[in-house]
Amino acid sequence: MTSEQRYIGVARPPQGVDPDPPRVVLNLSGTTASPDPATPLDPASSIVDLYEPETRPWVLARVAAAEIQPVRYGRFSAHRKRVRRAILHRFELVVWGCAVMVVAGLVLVALRVVNPPTYDSDSSGIPGPMATTVTADVPDATCAFGDCAAPSYTGPPTRVRIPAIGVDSSLETLGLDAHRELEPPKDFARAGWYSGGVAPGDTGPAIITGHVDSRTGPAVFFELHALRTGDLVEVDRGGQTVTFRVTRTEQYPKNAFPSDRVYAPTPGAELRLITCGGSFDRNRGSYRDNIVVYAIAN
Amino acid sequence: MSHLPPVLRRLIRFGAAGTAVLIGLGVALFSAVPAAAQDAVGYVRLAHLSPDTPKVDVYLDKFGDSSFKEQVFPHVGYGDSSKYMALPVGTYTIAMRAENAPASSPPVITTQVTVEDGKAYTVAGVGKFAALGLKVLTDDLSRPTGGKAKVRVIQASVKAPIIDVSLPDGTSIGSNVAFATTTDYQIVSPGTWTLHLQPKPAGPGATLSAPLVAGSVYSLLVIDKGSGLWLTLLNDASGGSTAPNGAVEAGLGGTRNPNRTPLIAGLAIVFAGLVVVAMRLRTLIKRRG
Repeated sequence: MTSEQRYIGVARPPQGVDPDPPRVVLNLSGTTASPDPATPLDPASSIVDLYEPETRPWVLARVAAAEIQPVRYGRFSAHRKRVRRAILHRFELVVWGCAVMVVAGLVLVALRVVNPPTYDSDSSGIPGPMATTVTADVPDATCAFGDCAAPSYTGPPTRVRIPAIGVDSSLETLGLDAHRELEPPKDFARAGWYSGGVAPGDTGPAIITGHVDSRTGPAVFFELHALRTGDLVEVDRGGQTVTFRVTRTEQYPKNAFPSDRVYAPTPGAELRLITCGGSFDRNRGSYRDNIVVYAIAN
Repeated sequence: MSHLPPVLRRLIRFGAAGTAVLIGLGVALFSAVPAAAQDAVGYVRLAHLSPDTPKVDVYLDKFGDSSFKEQVFPHVGYGDSSKYMALPVGTYTIAMRAENAPASSPPVITTQVTVEDGKAYTVAGVGKFAALGLKVLTDDLSRPTGGKAKVRVIQASVKAPIIDVSLPDGTSIGSNVAFATTTDYQIVSPGTWTLHLQPKPAGPGATLSAPLVAGSVYSLLVIDKGSGLWLTLLNDASGGSTAPNGAVEAGLGGTRNPNRTPLIAGLAIVFAGLVVVAMRLRTLIKRRG
């Protein structure tokens, strides 16, 4: 605000002039009104410009100085309030948006503090107990042409590595519970192999599962859902390594789990990696979905 | 918009800002849903089951896909079969040419097979040479229920054109199975069985000791060999003796506490909105008053 432009009082606008909200009188030049608020205008001779300083800094109407009610200047004067309000109005949207973002950000940060992600590392290198039922099928001695080489492996799988998601875990040996459902590994940091089924590298779908998380943080298969077509999965078995290639990643509701598809017999050596996914049902203490990664031997 | 009362204008601005913030939060909260990746494969097995057809070269190519490298299997004779090959889903052309015939020569016979996700197919040259056909079998590799095994008969013997196949206890695997046909899979109890083949109406039979594993799928291939019959048990697929029942419980929800995030974030937005509205109201009341 220059010395020529000062609020000096409040006046009612003349008839026909938009009343909302210009009520402020500005002494534009100092020639028709007193430049000093301490010196009152001469009501008889002064004509001043009426305008809306907040949004329309141009002259709207001229009123006689006699109409002016002098305003009190100062830190808490009505004039200063209007100026502050005007500035706020200009940046209202930005300020409001920022405020909400800050609040939301604080909430998210607070949640991370309450539940810090803990990245379990596989501390145990102890191989699981020996497999109980590794079944050997009829060797396919009849293959007469094409790629007849049938790699043979012995013993249970001992370790699984998935470089794409940083998994390198020894394997527990898993069985079924009373409902014939697959029991998950006891250790959240380790994956497990279902020893009642196919061994990785043999014909059929070998099954390896791992927890997605514990009660406190991510577990060994936390990132399983991120596996994509072509990612490699390595399984150690009897001093050899069987390499599988991911062909698809699926998410199934547990109450419509396609056992016929996931556990179906296969003509070649395949692998199924299974963990939990989807939303968590707190009432049942259980995830609603399973993540199933399909892979076939290279 | 300039003709609208300022109060309305401000409300509209609030609305716009609020909507933008909500959309942003929504995107952030729901972007963690995994997208399914697909590169499905099916299986194809090739076989030569025509007794009087000389050796052939078999060609396999993917239809309309130049990135697929054509595969050639030379010198395939009667009774030969390949292993199942894992192939990306799509349509494949299978052609048989006379042994050592140039790849550019017209094939003796050709067919197409459309490979679907997770399915398996046996493509076989069947019948006598005079009526040679390429037959596409869709192999039902679904799990035999109740801890059983599955076995079927592929009949490619012209010397014994009609046969019966049974287990020692009399259970029939195939009855009156004609040359160049294939039976449906039959459910059998697992175990090592002596499969018995009997030509119809009469003739010297044949036996084969067959270890049938629970959860596995087999084809019994019958061909002529020398002066007699030759039985081969093909292991079509294996599934492990005991499949788990349904889903797997593999998580305790420790990383899903942010489940409450939408609620808390929503409350924060509502609170912020209320504060702004209250401030506006106060200002408006003051100004009007």
